Amino acid sequence: MTIQVTVRCFSHVREALGKDVLNLELEDAADSATVENKIRELAGEDLNGIEVKVAVNRKYAQKPVILKDGDEVALIPPVQGG
Amino acid sequence: MNISAKELSKWLDENRQMNVVDIRRPDQREKWPLAGIEAVVTELGELSPGVMNKTTVLICQFGIITQRWIETEDLDEVHNLIGGAQAWNAYNADQRDLSRYSRQMVLPEIGEEGQRKLLDSVVTIVGVGGLGCPAAQYLSAAGVGKLNLIDGDVVDITNLQRQPLFRSDRIGDPKSDVAAEALSELNPDCAVKSHYTFLSDENCGNLLAGSNVVLDATDTIPARRVMDDYCRRKSIALIYGGLYKFEGQVSIFHLNGGPSYADVFPESITGGGTCSDDGVPGMLPGIIGSIQALEAIKVILGITPNLSGKLLLYNGLNHTMEQIELNV
Repeated sequence: MTIQVTVRCFSHVREALGKDVLNLELEDAADSATVENKIRELAGEDLNGIEVKVAVNRKYAQKPVILKDGDEVALIPPVQGG
Repeated sequence: MNISAKELSKWLDENRQMNVVDIRRPDQREKWPLAGIEAVVTELGELSPGVMNKTTVLICQFGIITQRWIETEDLDEVHNLIGGAQAWNAYNADQRDLSRYSRQMVLPEIGEEGQRKLLDSVVTIVGVGGLGCPAAQYLSAAGVGKLNLIDGDVVDITNLQRQPLFRSDRIGDPKSDVAAEALSELNPDCAVKSHYTFLSDENCGNLLAGSNVVLDATDTIPARRVMDDYCRRKSIALIYGGLYKFEGQVSIFHLNGGPSYADVFPESITGGGTCSDDGVPGMLPGIIGSIQALEAIKVILGITPNLSGKLLLYNGLNHTMEQIELNV
């Protein structure tokens, strides 16, 4: 069994992957930390040393959240420009 | 032609020959009688030439209906009272002319009471750069009573593309001083104090104390941490704004025990640098700084909903704007 999730990429993540949105197929009962790890793998060195916060279905996830089919995961780094 | 409440008061003191005409509905006249004026009461459509054969001042509730009518009818000798009965009665209460705020006082969420609250409020802006300039301009124009500007930088030629308070001839001058000068010309009701220094753990107590709201317009995370910590301890609302190229973030921290920056970004390690390092279109801080200013007045006036407990994410490429719930 697998599930499909939509990943929304912001700032450095978007830039590292070159896209705003991508779809990932994950093992059933995968969690949001798995998504972050997969995205870091895809991004390679570009996300080294960058903190990324995760939101699932537009709610901030302090701890890894078990995902369901169709969930949306947003990856949001802090930004410091002003 | 438009006249302010202050000018009308002067005309009355001079016993100037004129007609003052109140065109409001009976319920408005009853609820908000014009203080100290014997006005002719009539409807706009029934104004007779006899009434208008000398200088005439028309008064409606907010000065909008009468202004449109005078423009449409193209009447030279007929004057619109800016801000209408609301501004007139406010002026009569304490001789403070609020007519410049009439377009926001007409909003029930602000009104005369809210405007007086803004005039009594203190906002501190940390960082007078891309975010701080537009935020300071709008807050000053809105009639925030006291603005503290904190920045230890001087104006650089590369600031001019996105920091419209600065002009080419002020390169090398302290940003906070130049901004304070420009803002004092924008609205004399707003007292602007310049602090030519960077915020630190040592000076934050002196610089931030007494603020109703602190606006985070810095471009360094360490300064943000200083503000976050101080505002958490003192329960002061902190309006956060951050930029990365075409994207911006806004949130309100510490409002009524709401989350802090450290709750959301405990590590705050970013590979991205400042706008100087990464680049930014000048309009992006204009948009984000304006949203911060809007949230600041909403906090002062208690207008909800607001961005407390939410992180607003704006993308200037595809113009999406969305909120993440910060359930921390």
